[in-house]
Amino acid sequence: MFNKLIDKSAAKSPWLYHINTGSCNGCDIELVACLTPRYDAERFGFKLAGSPRHADIVVVSGPITSQSKDRLVRTLAQVPEPKCVVSIGSCPQSGNVFKGSWSVEAPLENYVHVDVAVAGCTPKPEAIMEGLYKAALILQKKREAMHK
Amino acid sequence: MFDWMNILWGLFYILVFPGALFTCCVGLFLAGIDRKVIAHMQKRIGPPIVQPTYDFFKLMGKETIVPARANKLVFLGAPILGFVSLALIMLFVPIFGFTAFSGDADLIVILYLITISGVALIAGGSASGSPYAGIGISREMVTMMSYELPFVLVLLAVAKKVGGASLVFSMDAVAAWQAENTCMAFQWSMIPAAIAFLLIIPAEVGMQPFDVAEAETEICEGPLIEYSGAALGVFKLNTAMKMCIMTGLFTSLFFGGIRTGYIWLDAIVFVAISAVVTLICITTVHAVTARLKIEHLFKFFWTIVSGLAGVSLVLVWLGL
Repeated sequence: MFNKLIDKSAAKSPWLYHINTGSCNGCDIELVACLTPRYDAERFGFKLAGSPRHADIVVVSGPITSQSKDRLVRTLAQVPEPKCVVSIGSCPQSGNVFKGSWSVEAPLENYVHVDVAVAGCTPKPEAIMEGLYKAALILQKKREAMHK
Repeated sequence: MFDWMNILWGLFYILVFPGALFTCCVGLFLAGIDRKVIAHMQKRIGPPIVQPTYDFFKLMGKETIVPARANKLVFLGAPILGFVSLALIMLFVPIFGFTAFSGDADLIVILYLITISGVALIAGGSASGSPYAGIGISREMVTMMSYELPFVLVLLAVAKKVGGASLVFSMDAVAAWQAENTCMAFQWSMIPAAIAFLLIIPAEVGMQPFDVAEAETEICEGPLIEYSGAALGVFKLNTAMKMCIMTGLFTSLFFGGIRTGYIWLDAIVFVAISAVVTLICITTVHAVTARLKIEHLFKFFWTIVSGLAGVSLVLVWLGL
């Protein structure tokens, strides 16, 4: 009876959990800028959650250093289904300027399925918002697939 | 012989009108208004008013993970215990002329039921086995101790005011007294108690200056850190229901004299006054304050707020 409402709600209230895997803080600042009054991501229901257990969308920034790889994989495993993974910036996609470094294990795709990748160094808040919104729609599709 | 009609009405009271469904709907509505208005205060557009409802239904559709270290029975039972105790409170709070169940000691029952919901949060947090939850529950206990004292003093002041020579702990008597005389809020000796109660509401609900137990940015929502899915959804619903109950309790304790005679009109006026109280004591306070430390919270409640409530109690005892 409530399945339709739950599916609709899945897209309307995506809670974010942010993992910094050795990012230079540029993307992190731009993500936080999305939540400020100027861009106000809360009007789509986005909210920063403190615990991965509360999250729907996991936002990953940074080139995945060797130190943070293990933590990243463990944190992602703690997020309840349905979940989405969004990578922000060029670093998680390719390693960006850090590519080839002995301490960077860059493409995020090696460890988890990435639903939306926002490229740029750093991407604009508008681009991040668009990526997050697309991830919210993917969440709804995943939720629909769960009970079919 | 069973009176089937009475049992059916009882079930209707518990499940629909002043009980579970009504409390949930009004609570989620008040929480939505709170988020919308605070967004406007910060020059944002803000989420739609139905946002807490979306949040709740989304959490219902998520996977519920029980950590390996957790005690499963307590971990999953605690949110339900909290829900049941909160759903029952509204039965004792008169919506102006109408009370579902009335007795001689409603105020004491309400006090205990509200405490049970706090204890449920503590039990759930301690069952999850997370160190963050450990910090959260210790703070939650201190918060509960801080606001219980002024809360009891306010209720004593009201009981003395209504009873005259003796204490009267019946909500029905409080409502009837206010219908005969004026609203409690317009009695000047009760004004300090009303202010104290307004300060207790955000602590009870766990809102901004007094949200030390669930400090999101500091200890990741404390007792709730390991909760996910439906169990978290029920806890979020409990918070919204507490908002409805505490503002509703304020409305019926201090503005209980307004009676139109129609139950639906009474209910609308009741929700409207509750919404205004929410805006004053939760939203505005949230917008202009930062989180206190736990020892400051304790000190604040045991000195200033208890002092205000005590002043009222003394004034009432002197017969003013």
